[in-house]
Amino acid sequence: MAAELHLRIVTPDRTIVDRKVAGVSFQGVDGSYGILPQHAPLMTAISNTGTATITELDGKSSELFVSDGFAQVQHNVLTLVCEAGEFAHEIDLERVKAAEAKAREKMAGLDRLSAEFLKAEASLRKALAREMLARRGSGSGTLG
Amino acid sequence: MANLKELRGRIKSVASIAQITRAMEMVASMKLRKVQAKAQSFHPYVDEIRHMIEALAGKVGGEGDVPLFRTRDVQTVGFFVVASDRGLCGSYNSNLLFGLKKVADALQAEGKKVKFWVYGRKAYAWLTRRGFTVERFFVEPPLDKADFTAAKLVGQALVDAFTTGVVDEVRLYYTRFQSMIKFVPTDAPFLPIRTIAVGEAKQPQKSFELDFLIEPDATTVFNRLMPRYLETVVFDAMLQSLTSEHASRRMAMKGATDAAVRMQKGLKKVYNRARQENITKELLDIVGGASAVS
Repeated sequence: MAAELHLRIVTPDRTIVDRKVAGVSFQGVDGSYGILPQHAPLMTAISNTGTATITELDGKSSELFVSDGFAQVQHNVLTLVCEAGEFAHEIDLERVKAAEAKAREKMAGLDRLSAEFLKAEASLRKALAREMLARRGSGSGTLG
Repeated sequence: MANLKELRGRIKSVASIAQITRAMEMVASMKLRKVQAKAQSFHPYVDEIRHMIEALAGKVGGEGDVPLFRTRDVQTVGFFVVASDRGLCGSYNSNLLFGLKKVADALQAEGKKVKFWVYGRKAYAWLTRRGFTVERFFVEPPLDKADFTAAKLVGQALVDAFTTGVVDEVRLYYTRFQSMIKFVPTDAPFLPIRTIAVGEAKQPQKSFELDFLIEPDATTVFNRLMPRYLETVVFDAMLQSLTSEHASRRMAMKGATDAAVRMQKGLKKVYNRARQENITKELLDIVGGASAVS
């Protein structure tokens, strides 16, 4: 049997990926996962902010941002069900920066223990993860 | 003579109304197509979420310890109502709101309180006019541009209200899109969760591998999955309502256009007859005058 894994990435807006790949790694809530073909059936939650790295059949790899989701392996099909998923080149850096600034501004005025603060912090994390990925993906610009 | 001029004016105004309603009809069909496409691309997500819940349901022991499943003595009922922001969509809003009023009145007669979470300006105006308290009126993002984030916002608000005890039960009141010409106001239970139902039930697909690893553990995954599930239910309700709204508006505008065209034809006939009468009268005058002279 060929060493390939069917990957599907499903978000509320669209199905982003639906094809055969050689492997995928992503961050679960309790650590990193690397899924290779013929993985045992599995179900887990993806961490709120993170990246997934797809290794294509030809050995190249591509990264994408995923958030708030779940991963499931069934019959050699890996399904990532997440709320947002974007390839590095799709990320709109301007928008991310705006989101980051907004989150920082919100956090400044809030009590550190309040629920709102935690929410703002979560959105800041998301913005930062996206930003990092976008920078890395485009190959231009420096971190920080 | 003034009559003729008046008629000309009326024909013109009817024609321009027909033009407007025709344009609205076309806009509505375009929006309808858009929403349907959105719903189409939402389906895989719904399927996956439901699939996972079904798979997990058997693994989580004792649903009683999940607060969202706990039934309470119901004193206050919360409704999430989805209506439209704009009018001119036939009986779409009134069907929904009269149904809602009936349900709310029945509940109040039983001595229960009702509270409303509302999407759609029409519903908000209607409810406040009748003295109901609207707990929260969602305006951002507008319904037309509603995406999953909006559903998330609503879902969180509703879950918060339920868990903090503001309401003891949450129901969704929205319009279900049954076909292009049939829209059914629907009263669906939301919280506490009793059954898992979202989207259309379909035939069981490929066999499911029952024995699978769950990490970190079933309860953790399940607790994370539940809010997502509720959001999909809310989003489904919103999409159904939006589809119904546009379909309903398209139908109403088609009716209006047809009526306007009919009216224009009728007026044209009346106008022509009046014009002919005038000409005849003038001719008679001339002939009468000529014969008087000779």
